[in-house]
Amino acid sequence: MSRKSWRVDASVLTGLVMAGAVIWMVLGSAPKSNAIPAFSRKYQTSCTTCHNNYPELNDFGEAFKKNGFKFPKDDDVFVKQDPVLLGSKAQKEAFPEAVYPGEIPGSLPIAFRYEGNFNWNAKQPAPVVAAGGYIPGTDLFVPNTFTIISAGSFGPNLSFWIDDDISAGASGANGGLGDGYLKYNDLGHIFHLPTNFLNVRFGQFELDLPFTQARSPYLSGYDVFSEAAVAHGPVCGGAVTQCQTANNPFILGTPQRGIEFGGYADNGNFNWSVAYTDGTGSAYGTTTDLVTRNTKDVYLRAYYKFNLERDPESRHGIQAAGPTGPRDHTSIRVGAFYYHGTNQQNFGSTTYAFTDTINEPFYRAGGDLRFKYRKLELFAVGLVGHDNNHTVDTEAGTIASAPAVTFTGGFVGGNYWIYPWLIATMRYDFVNSPSDFVNGVSRYQTRNAFRPGYQILLRANIKIVGEYDRAWQPASYGNDASGNPLFYRPNTFVTGIDYVF
Amino acid sequence: MRLRLFAVQAVAVCSAALLLAGASLAGEIKGKVSVEGLKSAENIAVYVDTIPDKKFDPPAQHPLIDQVKMSFSPHVVVVLQGTTVDFLNSDPVGHNVYWPSISGNKKLSHNLGTWPKGEKKSFQFSDLGVASLLCNVHPEMNGYVVIVSTPYFAVTDKSGNYEIKNVPPGKYTLKTWSENGKPTTLAVEVTASGATADLTVKK
Repeated sequence: MSRKSWRVDASVLTGLVMAGAVIWMVLGSAPKSNAIPAFSRKYQTSCTTCHNNYPELNDFGEAFKKNGFKFPKDDDVFVKQDPVLLGSKAQKEAFPEAVYPGEIPGSLPIAFRYEGNFNWNAKQPAPVVAAGGYIPGTDLFVPNTFTIISAGSFGPNLSFWIDDDISAGASGANGGLGDGYLKYNDLGHIFHLPTNFLNVRFGQFELDLPFTQARSPYLSGYDVFSEAAVAHGPVCGGAVTQCQTANNPFILGTPQRGIEFGGYADNGNFNWSVAYTDGTGSAYGTTTDLVTRNTKDVYLRAYYKFNLERDPESRHGIQAAGPTGPRDHTSIRVGAFYYHGTNQQNFGSTTYAFTDTINEPFYRAGGDLRFKYRKLELFAVGLVGHDNNHTVDTEAGTIASAPAVTFTGGFVGGNYWIYPWLIATMRYDFVNSPSDFVNGVSRYQTRNAFRPGYQILLRANIKIVGEYDRAWQPASYGNDASGNPLFYRPNTFVTGIDYVF
Repeated sequence: MRLRLFAVQAVAVCSAALLLAGASLAGEIKGKVSVEGLKSAENIAVYVDTIPDKKFDPPAQHPLIDQVKMSFSPHVVVVLQGTTVDFLNSDPVGHNVYWPSISGNKKLSHNLGTWPKGEKKSFQFSDLGVASLLCNVHPEMNGYVVIVSTPYFAVTDKSGNYEIKNVPPGKYTLKTWSENGKPTTLAVEVTASGATADLTVKK
């Protein structure tokens, strides 16, 4: 081995040592953070009451969220900011001769979040650069995202959540509304159902996914939640007279507009939800006009959390009683979900004059698993997508059923809390899509990525996040001069800052 | 015989009288603590420092520290070395009580764990110093147990006033401990009518 391979660049080493010293000093200095988001302010409590690694929720945080953003028990006792009463409680008796009394948060419940990352991209081959454009090897603080979040309760049963990316991507780029909904807890009280067995929310919201994409602690999204179904083969036009129609932009991770009924039972261990939504067209994060269709979609989800705590008090408590303090329950959560919709094309016969609106039912179905034990969390999701499809012959003026467009995929991963402020993360994503292969989106039918990462909580509301993305199956990156698709391995390393206040 | 019995009775009466006189001679130390650079003079511990060749037995009654509305109440408690303190959980949420050290000695760290609403756990503080009480799931919670070597101590009220009762006459060293201020020392002489001692605690 040459001596050169053993030499360490002094400047790199110095930089690493200095960076490490800065991080150590910041971690070790007296914690005097004044940054506390809306719920922290309301209850004068740290983020760690509800989050074990924000925005991921611990067991208490999940109970808080399910209870309409209120403490699960004796909420009034813990509120440090009195709400503004919009009518005294005695006014209830005067209803309907008076407006039913309500309340609003005592102070404006607004929080802000900023994320900005350093990006490193693997070097591209020259032909890829020539065909697809240059991507710099490193980029500082991209994407810059500034989010405003407002959430709280309007009394014992009503709660709300609004979040909007004010600025995303480069400076001045537009963001978009994420969730914006109103929720009514314990609607089932009218039907003498158990508390919180029937709740309802309406507005725009992320579906009740097994693992939230909108409030994921990871830098990368779950690939399978971003997978769309597009038929393979050439697009009709010119000399091409036969083509397939399936072209469904729906992706699970996009917020949906609609109404959702759901509830909890068995001490919150059983959860169910049914959502009725507009479906495709929630163009979140873009300025494209929403594409609407007449059909409505349905999403179903249910899961059961098997609480494995031996001590009965721990099992029934909101959190388990550990020897060194409260912690999440040891548990296995098993769930399933199903989304059904009907994609529509050729409205008013505008694309193919010889046929009416083309309806193509589709579904996404899957299961999920999550295991928690002390400092370890393991999880997995498996999903299958199926879209009806047609073949159109523009010359003959005919349309016929064609083999469905299908894909499968999922992810497995784990998190380990080395310290309460230092978390190691790992995730493996995979998508199997014959259509993507034929369409030149990916080099093979399966594309997968391995994503190890870290999260360092400098304070309860400030963290450094890092993730390495290693893709084995290169993705398409345009064509060369001869029209041949180009593939290269887009490995990336992203690390940056994330803070809320 | 009669004379002997009378003498014994006289000695007994005189001894009792002397004992009573001694007790009634015990005074109080009271005064006001002012602060410089601190927000408040409340919750400052004022206590008589170690008296040479004097040892005191801890009280049978246990002081109580409650976890209520996500805070430790009272915020500061002073106890005599060897006292057992009871910790009660009055909240419907899980808490725990632990201290990472006693006056910086990490070997004296301890974690009492978690217990449900309405139940107590106890701990005997046998080492002098200050224990910072923390809860690992609600990091904003904070309280203090100040362990001292004499039973003569008090905690200031909102105005900084304090009163230490039943201090026998003599010369003592008065000390303070506060969360954010430096310790203060003051020599004080207690007479039968007590003593007044004002102190200043600086940041």
